[in-house]
Amino acid sequence: MKKEDTVKLISAEGFEFVIHKDAAMVSQTIRNMLTSPGNFAESQHREVTFPEISTPILEKICQYFYWHLQFASGKETEFPIEPELTLELMMAANYLHT
Amino acid sequence: MEMENQLVELCLNSACESKDSVEKWRRQKRSLERLPSHLADALLRRLHARRLLYPSLLEVVKYTIEVVDLSGENAVDSEWMAYIGAFRYLRSLNISNCHRLSSSGIWAVAGMTTLRELNISRCLKVTDAGIRHLLSIPTLEKLCIAETGITARGVTLLSSLKTLMFLDLGGLPVTDQALSSLQVLTKLHHLDLWGSKISSSGSDVLQMFPKLNFLNIAWTNVTKFPNLPHLECLNMSNCIIDSTLKGPGDNVPLKKLIASGATFSNETEDLGFVGTSFLYHLDFSNASLHRFGFLTHMKALEYLDLSSTTIGDNSIELLASVGENLKNLNLSCTTVSSSGVGILAGKVPKLETLSLSHTMIDDVALSYISTMPSLKSIDLSETDIKGYIHLSAAEGSEFLSLTKLRTLDCLEMLNLEHTHVDDGSLRPLSKFPRLSHLLIRSPSFTDVSLSYLSILPKLKTFSIRDAVLTNQAFDFLKPAATLQRIDLRGCWLLTEDGLLEFHRRFPQIEVRHELFHFLSDPTSSNRPSTHLTPKKLRLNQRNRSTVTSPYFVDQRLKYSREELLALQFSSLAQSSTYTPETSHKSDS
Repeated sequence: MKKEDTVKLISAEGFEFVIHKDAAMVSQTIRNMLTSPGNFAESQHREVTFPEISTPILEKICQYFYWHLQFASGKETEFPIEPELTLELMMAANYLHT
Repeated sequence: MEMENQLVELCLNSACESKDSVEKWRRQKRSLERLPSHLADALLRRLHARRLLYPSLLEVVKYTIEVVDLSGENAVDSEWMAYIGAFRYLRSLNISNCHRLSSSGIWAVAGMTTLRELNISRCLKVTDAGIRHLLSIPTLEKLCIAETGITARGVTLLSSLKTLMFLDLGGLPVTDQALSSLQVLTKLHHLDLWGSKISSSGSDVLQMFPKLNFLNIAWTNVTKFPNLPHLECLNMSNCIIDSTLKGPGDNVPLKKLIASGATFSNETEDLGFVGTSFLYHLDFSNASLHRFGFLTHMKALEYLDLSSTTIGDNSIELLASVGENLKNLNLSCTTVSSSGVGILAGKVPKLETLSLSHTMIDDVALSYISTMPSLKSIDLSETDIKGYIHLSAAEGSEFLSLTKLRTLDCLEMLNLEHTHVDDGSLRPLSKFPRLSHLLIRSPSFTDVSLSYLSILPKLKTFSIRDAVLTNQAFDFLKPAATLQRIDLRGCWLLTEDGLLEFHRRFPQIEVRHELFHFLSDPTSSNRPSTHLTPKKLRLNQRNRSTVTSPYFVDQRLKYSREELLALQFSSLAQSSTYTPETSHKSDS
């Protein structure tokens, strides 16, 4: 994976997730941040911080991005979600428009 | 939209999968309090649909919920209401059809300062005492109390709810006096008074509600047509209309007029008091009318129902002159004949739905109907249609008249019940590729007609009643993959075994017959999905039929792999419910 193709997502606790740009673009919110015109810090450094999203939730979100890409390309698998995570994950998903 | 919030959807499914999954999150108080209200509303709706909701669970969404819809939930009683009364930001509450709810239950919502909409229609036990509890809600804008135990006295009390804009009093014994006490509700724009005790002389009071744009006074003794400057929708079904009330304008700027079963007098029959330029919906079914001159100016008409009126061929010319925008026309049970339909030919370019059932039209009308290019649905039941036209020049040669309809590219539904059409004259139908609903009913149909099940590629509903069908015809039948429902009532030669065999082969198809009634998949109706992905959803909508809700249960998620394998051999009927895709593939 080339460095230009990656995006760094940072959780509330400062944990960094480096994922492929295409995966991050599954989120409408991140897509807008990265593609909006002008010199926003996000689009320059390819780095987005989410002070509201905890590490385990952001990890799950990243997993979902990759699962979504696979699903869209025709690989129909389940995406398991532990009931304990549903509330926080739902809020994060709502914020990220994904 | 659905794609965009797919993860939210997956979370909702997981959260509401079972009682156990609810237990896993219900104590996450901090998260629950931070939940945006639209997510909280969706969560509650899903819990309710999955039948996982119980009173104390309502507590968890206390600070986030804004909209609650528990209509038809029989369990709702004072205990439920106590929790609902504690909702801090509740804006809209629908508890209609909750039969256990009584006036004392309503006490819980008394004094709520955020509530704007309340629906307690058809809660039979709610009486005037319940209304008293509502008077302390200062923000109420929309109130529905139709068909409750409230009397005219209780209605009078509503006059202190000055913020009311929408009031449904349907089926309540509202008297002239009670209505006039509501005059102080000056913001009112929607008033439903069907079945009330308003008298003809009391109807003058209606003029005191100048802001009304919706008024329903069906089934009352009102005889005067209200003349209100902003009225857009008026329902005077089953009223006798003999005069109009004096109003500020010359005529009422109606958009929608429903006067089904109404009686018009000589003076009111010309509808001179109705502004015709915006009227797009007119329902005069069963109305007693003699002249139809009023049609001439109604250029905006899209929906017109004149069924069971005295309209005949001589008035059709009037109808043709305003046919330009018509989308839906009902002329059933009238004396209109084929030549009347001929007058409409080419004059109704946008007509999508046409009903001519119970008229005297014959095969000649079919060629006129074929000039209505937008038609999607045609009802020709109980008519004189034979399906043949005898060509006079060459004696004995016949023309299959249904061939004419082939030019209708949009045709989806065709009803030919109780006509003289038979196996032979139905033949042109094989060239109707878009037809999705076909209804025929006559003892002159035999096994031959069942072949349309496989010939028509988009068929969803096939009703072939009273026909002489045999079990053998079903043995080799391969219905179109789209088929959802087949109605075989009155096919007396069929036996239960034969039908069972058909059901076994095509469990996804709903079968109706006197001997039994198979729903295609009873486990899935009214139960939402535990696994809902857009792609899967589409697949299943094609295969399944009974599900009117967009949800379905993917049974695979309910069981472990071992359980599934065990179930696979237990019963074939059962297995169909969790392998719809595979069964579909093997069918086609």
